[in-house]
Amino acid sequence: MFKRILIANRGEIALRVIRTAREMGVECVAVYSDVDDCALHTRMAHVAVPLHGVTPAESYLDMDKILKAAAETGAEAIHPGYGFLSENAEFARRVKAAGLAWIGPPAEAITVMGDKIESRRAMAKANVPCVPGLTDPVDDVAAAVKDAEGIGYPIAIKAAAGGGGKGIRIVRDPSEMESAFRQASGEAVSAFGDGRLYLERYIDNPRHVEIQVMCDSHGNRVHLFERECSIQRRHQKLVEEAPCCVLTDQMRQDMGEVALRAAEHVNYEGAGTVEFLWEKGEFFFLEMNTRLQVEHPVTEMITGVDLVREQLLVAAGEKLSITQDELKIHGHAIEVRINAEDATQGYLPSVGILHNLRAPGGPWVRLDTAMYRHMEVGLTYDPMLGKLIVWGPDRISAIERMKRAIAEMNVGGVRTSMPAALTVLEHPRFVSGDIDTHFLESLTIEPPKEHDILVAAACAIYRHNKAKRSAMDPEASSREEWKERGRRERSGYARRLMERGGQV
Amino acid sequence: MKLFVDMHGREYEVDLIERAGQRELRVDGKVVDLDFREADTLGQFIVMMDGQSYGLSIEGDTHETHVTLAGHSYAVHMEDDRERAANLAAKEAAGGGGPVEAVMPGIVVEVLVEEGQAVEEGTPLLILEAMKMQNEIKAPGPGSVAEVRVSAGQTVAGGAVLMVLKGED
Repeated sequence: MFKRILIANRGEIALRVIRTAREMGVECVAVYSDVDDCALHTRMAHVAVPLHGVTPAESYLDMDKILKAAAETGAEAIHPGYGFLSENAEFARRVKAAGLAWIGPPAEAITVMGDKIESRRAMAKANVPCVPGLTDPVDDVAAAVKDAEGIGYPIAIKAAAGGGGKGIRIVRDPSEMESAFRQASGEAVSAFGDGRLYLERYIDNPRHVEIQVMCDSHGNRVHLFERECSIQRRHQKLVEEAPCCVLTDQMRQDMGEVALRAAEHVNYEGAGTVEFLWEKGEFFFLEMNTRLQVEHPVTEMITGVDLVREQLLVAAGEKLSITQDELKIHGHAIEVRINAEDATQGYLPSVGILHNLRAPGGPWVRLDTAMYRHMEVGLTYDPMLGKLIVWGPDRISAIERMKRAIAEMNVGGVRTSMPAALTVLEHPRFVSGDIDTHFLESLTIEPPKEHDILVAAACAIYRHNKAKRSAMDPEASSREEWKERGRRERSGYARRLMERGGQV
Repeated sequence: MKLFVDMHGREYEVDLIERAGQRELRVDGKVVDLDFREADTLGQFIVMMDGQSYGLSIEGDTHETHVTLAGHSYAVHMEDDRERAANLAAKEAAGGGGPVEAVMPGIVVEVLVEEGQAVEEGTPLLILEAMKMQNEIKAPGPGSVAEVRVSAGQTVAGGAVLMVLKGED
């Protein structure tokens, strides 16, 4: 096993990797941008190296800086987390060329699966069922309109280099093609630097069901069952669960086998996810994510397998610690993403300082987050602040536990996606398992009326007290500001200590 | 003190009278007996009402507050008689037009209209990118573009005025 690894990421996923690594006796090197000089991953790692710069391109996407940090700290392997460089084949190649282990799949597998067109070709060859569509990118709007006739409406326009829902537009009528094509192309260029688009049939009411796979370099491959991720908005997932309540054991086994066939075809190694669209018992290959996914904890909760631990074992050339026969589904797990967005105002991004945090607790509640009090939430990075995960012996008790945990939690200073998640969990359709990928977008997120009198009365007293205080002590508010600034400056203590080579 | 409290389009009238340390509270004319305590200076409150205890988080100023109660989030707007009159007058003066503000911080990708151009309700005015998602900002009503204040590539803060529309006369 490695003595020391570098984590080329930030936020909760950096902490996730550090936690398992520490439990395995592996030291961690964190890298951080100027914005993140007080972030938790810089404090929890054994060594923290500044990358300088603010934007992702200047920091977590800068391969040269990250490789230099690895060389200087003697790291033997690099874990890319998710996002940033995790699905960048060139980076995977450069890590290996530098004599380091890459905690991820082979670069060739990333290349094939990262290109939607290439991956469809490969999957068709491996006998993996795909959504009807073209395997070649379309040149322009006119060609798109013509090709769409052959595939049949509704059509999904997707970025060839895409992922995470970026660059995707749905077209239901040829007249919408021009504006959708322009927007999709613009988004693809700005997000991936590659404006190529392709078309496929849009399946109207699918569920999003994905299979977790794990492969080592000795030819061992296992699937760790499915995750249901149908609760999403603009292709960004919000609530994920495992298992999926509509799969039969036979379907689960079939999908698992197809996913392993997909992985085998690209000589996959490490953790990966094969995503499917599922409708009325049929399933179609959507894409394969060649990394650890945000929602991996629900799989960990129902199988008892630490996926990061398996990733490290595989990257170190060891065998998987689990076999297919040993894997069983135990109970039910749900995850809710905590995004900095105002779910009651059309999910507008929300920024601010987390002045007040209260974490939920109790049995079978797991909070994976890098939030800390006085953290500044800006627009530089992904709005996901963390994930709340619960386990229960069955789906209904897991839902009740999640509702209880959300009610305990408070993220003061920004608006979050939690009210949307709660609305989903309280909805009879979700409880009955009758969901598809449009369910979340069909909901209006509004607080229930039940406690309006209480809230109205409390706000009036709040205003009254505030007005009274500032009338009696007009300088109080400026004093508050001064204290706030002091707190922020003090939190730089950890950073300065580390820059001098100390540990926190 | 009389307050109009609005949350998500639901409006309540709150009367708050304080006399010699005694507080009397009415919501829509009904007396509410409520015990209100600050748990800390960060926005946590404990409210007792009808024999039940609630933990609330309240943040914001004397006009706009956000309340979190049992996982749900309430956007609350408050105004008294005087503020209500002033706000109504300001709205009236703007007519059908007025400023088009950035509802979120982001980057202007493309401006789709020119000054002087006539617009219908729903005409795309510009594309704003935030969190790598592109959003079309549409005209709220018919009129014309009086002034364009931003250009492509520009970073704008939440609430920034992007353009000014002139309402139909």
